[in-house]
Amino acid sequence: MSEVQAPTPVERADADGTSIRRFLIRPEAPALAFLAALLIVFSVSSDKFLNVSNLESILTSVSVLGIIALAVNQVILTGEIDISTGSMLGLCAVGAGAVATSFGGLALPLLAGIAVGALVGAINGLLVTVGRIPSIIVTLGMLYALRGVILLVTGGSWITGIPPETRVLGTGSVLGISFPMIILLILFLVMELVSRHSTWGRNVFAVGGNRRAARFAGLPIDRVRFLAFVLVGVFVGVASVIYMGRAGSVQTNTGTGLELQVVAAVVIGGTSISGGRGSSLAALTGAVLIGVILNGLVLLGVPGIWQQAVLGALILLAVSTDILRRRLLGDKA
Amino acid sequence: MSAATAVFRRLKFSREVVLLGVLIVLMIAMGLLSPLFFTVGNLLNTSRYFVEVGLMALGMTLIIITGGIDLSVGSNLGLVSVAIGFSFAGGLPLPLAILFGLVVGVAAGFFNSVFITFLDLHPLVVTLGTFALFQGMAYGLSNAEAISNFPEWFAYFGQAYVGPIPGQLFIFVVAVAVVWIILSRTRFGRYVYAIGNNEEAARFSGVPVRKVKIALYSGIGLLVAIASVIYTSRVSTARGDTGLGLELDVISAVVLGGASIYGGSGTIGGTVLGVIIIATLRNGLLLAGVPSTWQLFVLGVLLLVAVFLNEFFRRREE
Amino acid sequence: MGKEPGRGMEQPTNTSGTAASTEATPVFQLEGVTKRFGGVVAVRDVSFDLLPGEVHALVGENGAGKSTLMKVVDGLYAPDEGTVAVGGEVVEFSSPRDAEAAGIAMIPQELDLFPELSVAENLFVGRKRPRTRWGGLDWDSMRAEARERLAALGVELNVTSAVKHLSTANQQIVAIARALVGEARAVLMDEPTSALTDREARQLFRIISDLTSHGVGVVYISHRLEEIFQISDRITVLRDGRHITTSPASELDAEELVRLMVGRPLNELFTRTTSTPGEVALEVRGLTRAGEFNDVDLVVKRGEIVGLAGLVGAGRTELAQSIFGIRRPESGEVLVDGEAVKIRTPQAAMERGIFYVPEERRSQGLILPFSIKNNITLSILDRISRLGFVPHSERQTADKFAKELSIRGAKITDPVGRLSGGNQQKVVVAKSLAREPSILLLDEPTRGIDVGAKSEIYRLIDTLAKEGKAILLISSELEEVLSMSDRIVVMREGHVSGEFERDGATQERVMTAATGGREWAAPGGNGREEAGDE
Repeated sequence: MSEVQAPTPVERADADGTSIRRFLIRPEAPALAFLAALLIVFSVSSDKFLNVSNLESILTSVSVLGIIALAVNQVILTGEIDISTGSMLGLCAVGAGAVATSFGGLALPLLAGIAVGALVGAINGLLVTVGRIPSIIVTLGMLYALRGVILLVTGGSWITGIPPETRVLGTGSVLGISFPMIILLILFLVMELVSRHSTWGRNVFAVGGNRRAARFAGLPIDRVRFLAFVLVGVFVGVASVIYMGRAGSVQTNTGTGLELQVVAAVVIGGTSISGGRGSSLAALTGAVLIGVILNGLVLLGVPGIWQQAVLGALILLAVSTDILRRRLLGDKA
Repeated sequence: MSAATAVFRRLKFSREVVLLGVLIVLMIAMGLLSPLFFTVGNLLNTSRYFVEVGLMALGMTLIIITGGIDLSVGSNLGLVSVAIGFSFAGGLPLPLAILFGLVVGVAAGFFNSVFITFLDLHPLVVTLGTFALFQGMAYGLSNAEAISNFPEWFAYFGQAYVGPIPGQLFIFVVAVAVVWIILSRTRFGRYVYAIGNNEEAARFSGVPVRKVKIALYSGIGLLVAIASVIYTSRVSTARGDTGLGLELDVISAVVLGGASIYGGSGTIGGTVLGVIIIATLRNGLLLAGVPSTWQLFVLGVLLLVAVFLNEFFRRREE
Repeated sequence: MGKEPGRGMEQPTNTSGTAASTEATPVFQLEGVTKRFGGVVAVRDVSFDLLPGEVHALVGENGAGKSTLMKVVDGLYAPDEGTVAVGGEVVEFSSPRDAEAAGIAMIPQELDLFPELSVAENLFVGRKRPRTRWGGLDWDSMRAEARERLAALGVELNVTSAVKHLSTANQQIVAIARALVGEARAVLMDEPTSALTDREARQLFRIISDLTSHGVGVVYISHRLEEIFQISDRITVLRDGRHITTSPASELDAEELVRLMVGRPLNELFTRTTSTPGEVALEVRGLTRAGEFNDVDLVVKRGEIVGLAGLVGAGRTELAQSIFGIRRPESGEVLVDGEAVKIRTPQAAMERGIFYVPEERRSQGLILPFSIKNNITLSILDRISRLGFVPHSERQTADKFAKELSIRGAKITDPVGRLSGGNQQKVVVAKSLAREPSILLLDEPTRGIDVGAKSEIYRLIDTLAKEGKAILLISSELEEVLSMSDRIVVMREGHVSGEFERDGATQERVMTAATGGREWAAPGGNGREEAGDE
């Protein structure tokens, strides 16, 4: 019997499972390669770039963005989206700021920020799961509504006089490493652990990867998505206290435009906008990439007014490299 | 509940009817809140502000029907404004500068479409990138400065009145008519719905999916450019941050108008009502002395309620 | 590979007392089950049972209700009447989860796997996963268990690679392994071999006989009769949603089974007037697209129907779609009327007079929310439009073709999604006729539609050939290919493996070419069931 062409039980794909291929398969591969290339370019062209304090300042500057991106990453992995984080950050900061100016301390304002965020996240989650409204609409509406609430609560005025003990999350450091950076890295590690080692973390991938199959497998799809939205609220709450610490005050326009940067970070990092594919490392890489670009441009002496344009172009370049990856892997379609 | 739905069924429930109801209720409420609201002058004046969002919403309706989205319209508006202002400041005669602005707008839209069609990237991702790119270019090219020494006749586009009617309203009405005809009467419009309902089947049926998308994203570029001319003329200033955040107003208007964000359904009539409702709300609340702080809140809640009702009835129908 | 599976294999299990004997408690039992969708009765008063350790084949034409019945067992559908009992106790499943808990696992036609996740993880999604001492997921033991379970099925896969990188056959095996993690006592397989090669199918049979020897009952849905006689103990025939018979496989033969399934002699179904083919209309030379089809030569003349036979996955659909401009061939050429053409889009193909009727009716052939009219005219809008406007005469054009195909069941302005499967398919065909192509590529044109609609479509295909159109008929229904074609080209694993003139073609010869040795008959077709899903 001629069975020359019949595939062997062991997949051919594994036969050429070189380490390059194994790297390329990872969702954050293009972003990491891109990041590496940028690091080299910036290091060569500016001697101020590659030193510890500069790299630390990059991570510190993207901490708020990165922390929120880690959570929004989970939402996007489930196949949903959250573009309400800009206003949410503002509202959390208002909540935390109000508590900080009346009671001081760190724990209470932090709790207040987290509570406000979790509440808003829960509303988002309920509207998406129980209300069955598309998440992009829910969070778009929330983006407006929350900005309104901010102006309403503050009456349009700033919250100033945040006590130093509350600001410590934004300004403090230990062993010369800034708190924002530490928190970002800890939350990243937590999310990596959650993704790999918790049932919810795995279900996030399953729900976003094949919702039909997830339903047949009996996964609690609504609960998985709901929790992802709540997680965004919690992380935004944490980020709001860092933000407040760094800024020293809360303005009514806090977080404006952040929502799109967050989504950009997640997507540049390599998490698929349609869900099911990605990683926390992708979200972190995306956020760092944005930070590195902005920082490198300053060091290269690119005028500040051009930074946004270069950032946009690099975002497009980064997402386009995914095509290259698909080619290299020989994926059709 | 069942009685209510039965009535709805007999009325052959349509989203436009509901929206019209919302608009009427809204106008009555506004009339009660402020006696100034129902003056002809005010009503027409309101229209001055919604034309720019309205023009972009027309293009966005078609894009959303195909299942796409364009987040870069606000940035593109700023870019066109800067292109006009600074090419004029650089010595180009104003008519040519305006023409140049229109070309820039279309080119920006075309740029989006190249990434979306040839690289097969998700429109949300692409336009998120060009959102930053166009805005950044507008900042960079303008050196973050403003141009406002336009000749007097430039004001015609955004400040002129024909009798009591603002000039740009005519442009809007013409644009609505054109886009409405395109969507409901032409082959192109049929293709738009076909792509939104089932892109694969459309492709198998010989619908030139790529060409349609290129035309759509370039087309919204043109509408954005026209809106930018009006906007720039209305405020007599060309600046890089013009149009900042308008994309969300535009998308809200379209979704409020009943277009499904998943693609496949949506009408020009609905979108126009959506635009007018948002404008009425903003204007009415302003007149009633409601602080502008409330407006965003009301807008957000209105959007959620409208979409919720939309989805609710859609499911009832099925 | 040593021992061949077959009924001989089950003999020892029978005597061991764990399996098929009249006293054994069935794994599950259906009593008088009726399931309706809207006004359509998909399954009417059907009783069915599965004994431990037996393979119970469920056969019937497309739309006979096989899949619907199994979905009732699996908890996807609740029966409108009748009961489901497991281990003698009446149960009411509200989801496949409940069925799984009761030891019933279904391996659906469309595999419900998670393409981005690893093989190991796919086995554990939705299940309790092993944990390490510190509370995290124990990936090592998950991988080990996955490897073990796959080894028990006789395969060795890299359990860390993403499922999307596996072949269809191996994905199937992962799906089976997944079903068995829940310690299933009954496994429902819906056309598991439709996309498998001969060798892969034999591997599957070995797995099945292994399962039954451990007392697991298997419900086996297939259109491949030879397979059914090879592996099953009992056979139940459904027709039009009704239970026709259940009897031991040994008491039936293929001919009798076909008669029971179809309920009428087959030859009345087809219409084919012989004609003399004219000039060559379509020629394909050395067309290749790596991994899909390889060096394919093919000629279709005017007035000729060329049947393209082969197993699912042989590359026939990919070939047709490449001719139509949906996919891009890597080498080789396509000639239309003797002239080499480069076709890169369906529009270009249509310009050349080629039209492709896709096999995936609902996802590729129709825009379901569109009206019948808008579907029929979608492909001719460029022709009928004036200055880009759709003319009012569109309605008459659509009416004409709707009448020609006698589309029934809805107004021409109603959404096409409301029609029955057969009428939907007529709309797809009407759409292609409206384009007036000279070359028609028909991909499984009668898949999953009722007999009446089938015979109407056959009559139409015959008429089209008489009018001088060149027709390429892709079909997995052997009877259809043999009865309709002037010439039959057979593909196997991407290349042409045989070509027969009408007179020289027999089921055996075609099947031998299609399978590379394995012979079987498949009069019932190889389509999916669409028993009133909407």
